[in-house]
Parts: sequence; C-alpha cells; structure tokens
Amino acid sequence: MITLFIDNQKVAVKEGTTLLKASEKLGIEIPTLCYHEGLPPYGACRLCVVEIIGEKKNRMVAACSFLVDEGMKVLTISDRVLKRRRMIVEFLLARCPDIKAIRDLADKMGIKKPRFKTKNLDCILCGLCVRVCNEVAGIGAIGFVNRGKKLKVDTPFHLASDVCIGCGACSFVCPTGAIEMELDAVKRFRELLGIEHKCRYSLMGLVSYKVCSNNYECWRCKVDQRIRDSLATHPIFAAKKIKTEKVNQYFSFLKKIQE
Amino acid sequence: MKIQSITDLKQAIEIQIQKRKSTEKPILTISAGTCGRARGSLRVIKALKNAIKKQKLENDIKIKVTGCHGFCEAEPNIIIHPHNIFYQKVEPKNAKDILAQTVLGNKIIDQLLYSDPSTKERYIQENDIPFYKHQKRIILGDNALIDPTDINDYLSIGGYLSLVKVLSSMTQEEIIEAVKQSGLRGRGGAGFHTGKKWEFARKAKGDTKYIICNADEGDPGAYMDRSLLEGNPHRVLEGMIIGAYAIGAEEGYIYVRDEYPLAVEHVSLAISQAKKLGLLGKNILGTGINFQIHINKGAGAFVCGEETALIASIEGRKGEPRQRPPFPAMKGLWGKPTNINNVETWANIPVIIEKGADWFSKIGTNGSKGTKIFSLVGKINNTGLVEVPIGITLREIIYNLGGGIPGGKKFKSVQTGGPSGGCIPDKLLDLPVDYERLAEAGSIMGSGGMIVTDENTCMVDLAKYFLNFLRDESCGKCLSCREGIQRMWEIVADITKGHATMEQLYVLEELALKVKDASMCGLGQTASNPVLSTLRYFRDEYKAHVIEKWCPALVCKRLVPSPCQDACPVGIDVPSYIAMIAWGKFNEAVDLIREDNPFPAICGRVCNHPCELNCKMGEFDKPVAIHSLKRFCADYVLKREGYNVPSIQSKRKERVAIIGSGPAGLTAAYNLARLGYRTTVFEALPVAGGMLSVGIPAYRLPKEIVKAEIDAILALGVEIKTNAAIGKDLSLNDLKKKGYKAIFIATGAYKSLKLGLPGEDVLKGIIDCVTFLKDVNLGNQKKPGDKIAILGDDHISVDAARVCKRLGSSEVNIIYRRSKEEMPLDYSEIDQAIDEGVKVHYLTIPNKILSKEGKVAGLQCIHARVGKADSRSRRELIPLEGSEFTIDADTIIRATGQVPDLTFLNRKFEISNWNLLVVDPYTLQTNVSGVFAGGDVVTGPATVIEAIAAGKKAAASIDNYISGKKFEGYKRPKPRMQIEPIQLTKEEEELKRPKMPLLSRNKRLQSFEEVELGYTEKMAIREAKRCRRCDIEE
Repeated sequence: MITLFIDNQKVAVKEGTTLLKASEKLGIEIPTLCYHEGLPPYGACRLCVVEIIGEKKNRMVAACSFLVDEGMKVLTISDRVLKRRRMIVEFLLARCPDIKAIRDLADKMGIKKPRFKTKNLDCILCGLCVRVCNEVAGIGAIGFVNRGKKLKVDTPFHLASDVCIGCGACSFVCPTGAIEMELDAVKRFRELLGIEHKCRYSLMGLVSYKVCSNNYECWRCKVDQRIRDSLATHPIFAAKKIKTEKVNQYFSFLKKIQE
Repeated sequence: MKIQSITDLKQAIEIQIQKRKSTEKPILTISAGTCGRARGSLRVIKALKNAIKKQKLENDIKIKVTGCHGFCEAEPNIIIHPHNIFYQKVEPKNAKDILAQTVLGNKIIDQLLYSDPSTKERYIQENDIPFYKHQKRIILGDNALIDPTDINDYLSIGGYLSLVKVLSSMTQEEIIEAVKQSGLRGRGGAGFHTGKKWEFARKAKGDTKYIICNADEGDPGAYMDRSLLEGNPHRVLEGMIIGAYAIGAEEGYIYVRDEYPLAVEHVSLAISQAKKLGLLGKNILGTGINFQIHINKGAGAFVCGEETALIASIEGRKGEPRQRPPFPAMKGLWGKPTNINNVETWANIPVIIEKGADWFSKIGTNGSKGTKIFSLVGKINNTGLVEVPIGITLREIIYNLGGGIPGGKKFKSVQTGGPSGGCIPDKLLDLPVDYERLAEAGSIMGSGGMIVTDENTCMVDLAKYFLNFLRDESCGKCLSCREGIQRMWEIVADITKGHATMEQLYVLEELALKVKDASMCGLGQTASNPVLSTLRYFRDEYKAHVIEKWCPALVCKRLVPSPCQDACPVGIDVPSYIAMIAWGKFNEAVDLIREDNPFPAICGRVCNHPCELNCKMGEFDKPVAIHSLKRFCADYVLKREGYNVPSIQSKRKERVAIIGSGPAGLTAAYNLARLGYRTTVFEALPVAGGMLSVGIPAYRLPKEIVKAEIDAILALGVEIKTNAAIGKDLSLNDLKKKGYKAIFIATGAYKSLKLGLPGEDVLKGIIDCVTFLKDVNLGNQKKPGDKIAILGDDHISVDAARVCKRLGSSEVNIIYRRSKEEMPLDYSEIDQAIDEGVKVHYLTIPNKILSKEGKVAGLQCIHARVGKADSRSRRELIPLEGSEFTIDADTIIRATGQVPDLTFLNRKFEISNWNLLVVDPYTLQTNVSGVFAGGDVVTGPATVIEAIAAGKKAAASIDNYISGKKFEGYKRPKPRMQIEPIQLTKEEEELKRPKMPLLSRNKRLQSFEEVELGYTEKMAIREAKRCRRCDIEE
C-alpha cells in the first residue's frame, strides 16, 4: 500500500493506482472529459490537471494517468490548478460553443464568453471514440487523421468503413454528441446476400442466434435497449467486462435476453 | 573478414594507424555532406577526378570524400594534404588549376583562400581561420579526416580503440561510473545526466533491454546530428555498442528521419561493415556479447523527437507522447527498459572512454561538461556548425567564430534551442552558454540551433513563425498544446496585422504561461518559450504593433506596405516615384517627391538614405539606388523647365515667422506656404540654406542646386530675410508684436564642443570644423595648414578632410575613436576620401597636443581595442598599453560634435542638460505657447532628412495650433497612389545596380567640382526597373 496526501488528506491506495482513483476514494471530485471507466487513461484533455508539490518546484500533471507515489503531496483545487482548468474550458467553449456538456462546464467555472474567436465545432478530439473502437471493440474503423491544427477523427482516407460493425460504441462514449449513430453502417449488412446477413450484436459477440427474428431490420431491434436497461452502459463494455470477469454469468445473461 | 578477438581488433587498428602515418602521397580532402553536395561538391569531385585521370596521376594522388566539416559558408571546400591548404567555394572549373598549381606546383591560388569578411585577411590553413581557430572540435573534428563509407579509415584514426579498452579492461559498472564522472549531459535538449540515465536502465528489472539513438532532428536550423551520422557514423555506433554493453541491451535502434537520405545510407553502410568485421552481431569479438542495431526511418514529425512518441513510432503506432512516469528506463520500447540518447551524446562516449572522465570534465563549466555543437545560422557571416566548450559566451560564438552580422547591420537577438527555445537579446551577449544560464535567460540549450537575427528581423514575426511551425507539429493529443498554440498563433497573427488590442496582448502572455504548465510533453511545455522570451526582451516591439500599428523592423506587411517608405523620416512614397521613373514620367516623379520633401535634388545627393538600408532588394542583391534615382529625376527636371509650383490651398491672413533657413526651417516654410500661410524666414547669415549652404562642401552639393531648390520655395510666396539675426536686431517678442501668430525656431547646431585636452584654448592652430567649413563655403578658400589632424566622430570630419585636400594640404589625418562599423555615415564617402589621400585612424584615442612656440606641432595618440558593452550597449574602449604614436600636425580641426547656440533665447525657455531646446515630441511646441522648434536645435547634430521631417511635422503642428485643431497623433505614411508595375524582359530581370560615375581623382583635387556625376537617363530607367515592387505584393 502507498500512502499519499491529497489536499492535505491522508489516503492509502494500492501501488499502480492513478491520482484520479485515489482522489475518488477521498470523495474529491476532479473533472474529466477524455477519461472513461472502461478505457485505459489517455491524459489528453488536461481538464484533470492537479499540482504535485515538489522539492524545487511544483509540477502539473494529469490526474487520470499519473500514478501514485509514496509520500506524494497533491493539490487538486489550488489557484494554479483552477486557472489552468479555466483555460482548458475556455478553449473548449471557443471550439464548441453550442455543445451542452461544454456549456455546463463553463457555467460551473463562471466563464460566460471565451476571449477567442469561436469556431462552432462538435468534436473536442478527446479520442474516446477512437479508443473504444480500437481498444474495446478491437475494430479500428476510425482513428486520428493528421496532426496538430489539422487533427481530426476520421475513417482511413475518408472512405466508408468496411470493417465497422455498427456497434455504436463511438457514439455512446462521445461526450459532445459529435458522432451520431446512423443506421447506414448497419444497412450495409442488409445489402449482403441472404446467407451472409449479419447482426451487429452477433459481431460484437453478444448474441449467438443465427437468424434474426426482425429479418435484419435493425431499426425494429429491441436488443440494444434491453441490454442498456439491464447494464446501464454500452453493450460493448458489457461484453468486455463479462468476457473477462464473469464468463458464466455472461452466458446466463445472454440466455435471458434470448428468452 | 570477421575479427575473432579483442587483441585481433587492436592489431587491426594499429595496422591502419601505421598505414595512415606512412602515406606520403598528396591527399585531396573534399567535403561532401548534404550541404556540400547542395553546393555542387560532387561536380567538383568529378572534375578533379577527370583532371587527375588526364594527367595519369591516379596512383599518385588520392581523393578523399568526407562528410561535412561544418563550415557551410565555405562549401564546397578542399583541404590539400600534406600542407593542409584550405580552399573554399571551389567550382569545377578550378579543378585543373588546383591540380597543376597547388598539388604539383606547390603554389597557392589566392582567390580560393578564405578571406575574413571584415578584415579581408586571407588564411592558408584551415586551423588558422577564425571560424575553426576558436573551436574545440573533439567530436566534429574527425569529420574532416575520414571517409565515412570506409570503416578502415575510421580505424586508422584510432576508432574502436575505446571499444577495445572497454571490452578488455572495464566492467559494466566502471563504464557507467566513468560516464557519470565525466558529467556528460544529454545533448538532445533536456540535459539529463547521461550516466544516471544509463544506471536507471541498467538497474531496471527485466532480461530484455533496448537502447535507442535519437536522430530525429527536427528543429528548423539545426543539423549537427545529420552531419555526425553522415560524416562519422562509426563513432555513433561505437558509442552505442559501449552503451549496450554497459546497460545490458542486445538490441538497439537508430531512429532517423527519412529526410536524411545520405545519413541513412552512411549509417546502413557502417552497420553492415561493422557486422562484417564482427563488431556487431552475435558473440562480438568472442566476448559472448550480442548486439544488433536496426535502423528505423521516421516520417519527419517534430514530436517524434520526444522519447515516448519516438517509442510509439518505432512500435508502429502514431507518434504521440504519453504521460511520464513510467520513464522509458522502466517501461520503454515494447514495455521493456529502454535507454534513449541523442546522436551527439552517443558520439561523446568514445572520447570519454578514450581520454578519461577527468580529461572530459575539465572542459566546460561547473554543471555542464564537455563541448557542444551549435548550428550557427541566420543573419551571420560564417554559417555553419561550431563545436565549442560549454560556457563560452554568445559574443564569442557570434563575433569570433561567426564573424559578426553581414552587411554591417546591428545584431538583435539569437534564438537558441529551436522552436522550443527563446530569443536572447544583445544585452545578454556576454552570457556563458550552458544549460542553467540559458534556462535563466528564458531559453533552452535544446539540440543546439542558434538562429541569429539582425535589426531587420521583427521579433513578433519570428514568434509567429515558430508558433506556426509548432501548431503544425504538435501531435494534437493534448488539448492545451493543440488549442493553446493555435490560439497564441491567432493572437500573434492579429498583432502582426495590426488588429490586436492591448487586452489580447495580456491574454497572449497569460496563455503562454498556462500552456507551459498544463501540457503533457516537452513540446507543449516549451512551446510558449518563443512568445515568452520575445515578450520579455522585446515588449516594446509588441506594443508598437498593437498601439502604434507599426512594425519597427519594417517586416510585417500589413503594417508596413513598403519598408523604404516607412524607413524614410518624411515618408516619401518611394515605390510610386521609382515606378514613375521606370515608366519615364520624371516630372510626375518629382511632383510626387515634393509632396513630402521640397529638396529632391539635395536629398538625392546628401541624404543618408535609410530607405536603401531597408530595401527588400538588399536582402539578396544590392538595394535599389533610391537616392541616386531621386537625384536623377530632380536634376532632369531642374535642367529643363524647373519644378512645378504646387497648388496653394485657400489663402490665409495669418503670418508665421521661421528663424533659421536650414532644411528644417525651409521645409516648414514650404509646407506652411502650401497651407496658405504668409511665411517669413529670418536668417542670420548672408545666404539662405543653413548647413546646406555653409556646411556641406560644394563637391558634394553644388551651390546652384541649393539655390534652385530654395528658389522653388520662394516661388510659393515665402519671404527670406538674410543678415537678420534674432536677438541682435529683433527679439522674439518683437516678432509677436509684429503680428506673427506662431514662431518656429530652427537655428541648428553650430557651436563646436571642446576636445578636453590641455592647451587647446591657448595654442594657435586649433580650429572648429563648422567654422572652417562655413568660411570656406562663404568664399575664404585659404588652406588652414599643411599637416592636418581632424578629430571627429561625424561625417563633417570627412568633409573637412576632403576640403583640406582640395585647398592643398599635403597630409590629412582623421582620428576616429571607434571602429569603421560604428561610423555613422556611408562607407562610399570614406572610400572616396581615402582614394583622395586622406588617412583614417580607427580605434584611436588622442592623448596630448604637442606644441612648439605656442603653436600646434603634433598630436600624441594611442590605439585602443573594444571591450565589453556597457549598459547602453555601447562598448567601452580599452587603450592598448605601449601603442602610443605621434601624428605630425600644424593644424588640428575639432569635429567632435556641436551644440546649438541658444544665447539669443530668454530664460523662459526650457533647455536640457545637453544644451538642447526641449519640445513636446509630438507637437514640437516649446514650453512657450506659440513657439515651436525642430531640427538640430532640438536633436543635436543629425541628418538633413531628419531636419526636413522636423520641418514637415512643425508645419502640421503650427497649422493645428493656429486653426485651434486638436493634435490627433502622428500618422504613419501610407502610399499616395498605386502605380501599375512595368513588365520586365528576361534581361531586365537580371539587372545589377550601376556604379555611380565619379569625377577622376586628379580633377577632384584641383577644384570643388561635384564628385558624383549622377546617373544618365538610361541608367536611371534600368535601375528603377530593379525595384521588385514589394508595395503591391500581398
């Protein structure tokens, strides 16, 4: 166990815990955007910056990905931290002034209007969609294209993806609603020849039946809603969770859905 | 052939060393790195080989093709052994001569030798050249000795001996201890201690470990890693093998960008040669050590120089950094402990092993040991790579090695450390270069790029350039870096366009500080440095952009449509009148000039032409001869119908008095008359024109020209009263009583300052320069003496010298305290004076006046050298002991500055400590209401064009005062019109600036005839076509 001090409160956590988790244990809330329970930390949005008191000078690090160290002293609401966070939110607000999640964040910090030219974009490039597609679904239909000021999320060469399974996880994790699930991706499956018809839930490994009772007309499918109701998360995370942790329960769970 | 044991390798090396020593035939060493090749070294090699073949000397003369020697300015260069003769900028056509004259005939070809740009001294051997002499080339020096494609050549300079030493006598701990003791710090930028880094990697848990050589050199203007990999790849490999053995790695990677094809080629070749020899691979030299090196070619992303991004890139992922810790030493490539060092760091290892940690740690400063390679680029005479001991001052690097700033321009700043570094201003030139000091100054060592800028570089524009680079090169992963740099760029771009407000400037500074903090990797954390350091040292320049909407360096296009117009104190629309001359419309051109300046013919002769100093053409060729063109069209019109009388706005009844008929007074009169005022000029001397008539000698400015231009002003109804000294016959109050609504004082500065030498008041034979010139100009053409010594710091000293020569004095000396570069005048004038027989003594301090029977007999002087800069950045003079000498002289002319004679003014006026009249800088009004002043009486001795500018400003201000308008602030000049550019033929695009035709020397010394004869019509039109019309480009 490692002991550290967050905002002067002592806490003991396991080695390899992130500062974000350690703070959670103390009930200290640190705002995040690119962080997701089901994904490895990424540290891109910088909203979760905290200050670590150092011998010579203090450092600013991302709480979501920085690991705890023995005797570490961390400040999560210092003046320096709050100023940096405000800057991040101001950047976000200038980039996506119409996104509710961003506006709420800005309201919370008392930022009314950004001091920069506004852009009116949807995507904040947090990378959640890219990571869920690559790391959880294991598909890699979308990725980051270009770098620096031209960075964007796209399919390779901006062409309709051949590999997308239409799971919709990208849309589910998107904090700004920049990705909307159109059933176009799924329609592709319907256009295949009869015996090659595919169901996205079978591709995700969530259902095992061979023939769809809705004749592969996904918009009539109720599975999605039922899974979400019972899991309170996207099925893709459920699939991973269940696969790794409770294989047996998974099968009984599937049976329940199929019944 | 594989070498099986350590002793065998040692033997092989010794054989090669002996072989090198015993070679007696001449060797021609030719540099052919990427830069050399770009300047045609391959063609030179081909030509040389052909020449040797023709003479059938293939077996007697050897050609060795090496990598870059560092002196890019002199590429392609050849060193001819055994005498080490250094030839620079060799062309294929020189090959035959080099072979016949130097190699076979032992004769030196003078034109090919390096000559110092300032002293013009020629150097024969490479090591004598200041650029090389002040370096300490323990790493880069070998580049000049070896053929990088031949491993035996590397062995012959004792290469791989360090490997022998390590494998035969050192344990892994001892190696790491040695590197730690040496104090070597990472040369990639951050400067972490290499020994400590190795220790971490060695102690990290795990069987598989990797080492990486970071050759992803992406800084604009830095290329030392490329030069090392191209010119001496085995040295880097040797360092890596030693490192791998010490750390316990069996595999290594060289991550090099694909933009370095020659480096990739040479390293690949070196690896295969080392493998063949058994220095890489399994069971190296029978010691049981295995080590492989792979080359990984990067696609050229700046961020991949960051170690975690580099690792991601080798693994095949997108080059994005991740949060550290864990550091690569714990969890690096493929999750295994990994040690990453820069190319230069690896290249340092063999030296440390060979010469010992003690030897190495004696070089450098307390915290930073060894040497560092810098790439010296930008506005510097000797562009190239320099290797210097850490702790050397910037001044030494820039002036001793770099040879100073080209074109006699002023140094402004040096940008160190590439886009992540900062700008260091001239006041910190004596800063010792090491990791800590640079950081304190707001910059970083970085990989060692040094971009020198001169006065024509806009610091805001420079910051914009780096931000633009970074916003492209940021990986975009972390928001603060991606958005922060973009937003900072937007603000800086706004500033350069003149759209920004002061609030935005504060936001910029705030962003810069926060982005530094909140970003994940080194790129974002240092991205603000260009902004922060320029804001720290050049805030006034930012403010000028924001408040005055003005770019002092005349770079930002939106603010400064054409630099020549903006550099001109009166803001003449230069591009338009040059274009008119090109079209052949000389009358219109003169009218356009006279909108702003009533003296085109005078300024065409005597102006110091700041316009030409800032001409864009001057950056790659000689600037357009703006002042000669102005003179041509004015002369053309004067010779024919004369100037047009400009239109007068509605007549007014108010009267204005102007005291002094110099350029300031007459310009004010001209402009006021055009506004309709009735203007009277009072002049104390019998002629009008002030210094134009009585100061400047006729051989520079003929009297009839002055008269013609003054007459053109009189044509507007201006009245001039000569022999009317104010104070004697009339007082200022009398003028007011007589109904003059406003008075403009422009009486100039005629009183000479004393030298401060004992005896100057009592001895005969000491005269004032101004009085002397005035007497000569008014007709008293008697020679002042035979042997003249002129003590001066101004152009009038040169004038006096040339006048003395014309009056028949045999020996004329000018004694100048400072160097030629610091003289505030056009060099062509000094050159003409020297041509006429005047002697100029630079950096000379007069000590004592020698006398004989109450008369001057000579002057004792002492030479001096320039010391460190004082706080006003003017460098102090240190007399050189024992360098005293005497100049024979019967007359001493003092030209050491003048002050105005203000005795005619009453006590109400505010006068400064320097005995100058104090005025409001914007309105030129003195503390007495209705009395204005301008020109030399306010500024001290200055140029004609500055006096004209003061006159123009005063006229506008007096008009405001009389009409009761409020002062609205000074407006920057804007183009008055847009002239269609002329279509140039192919031949006309290649035109060169014509030389000004001069009177022959003999004729010159006999009379006061004008020396510069002026352009002909054909010359003028062709010269006007050289203008590149930067005023209409966007």
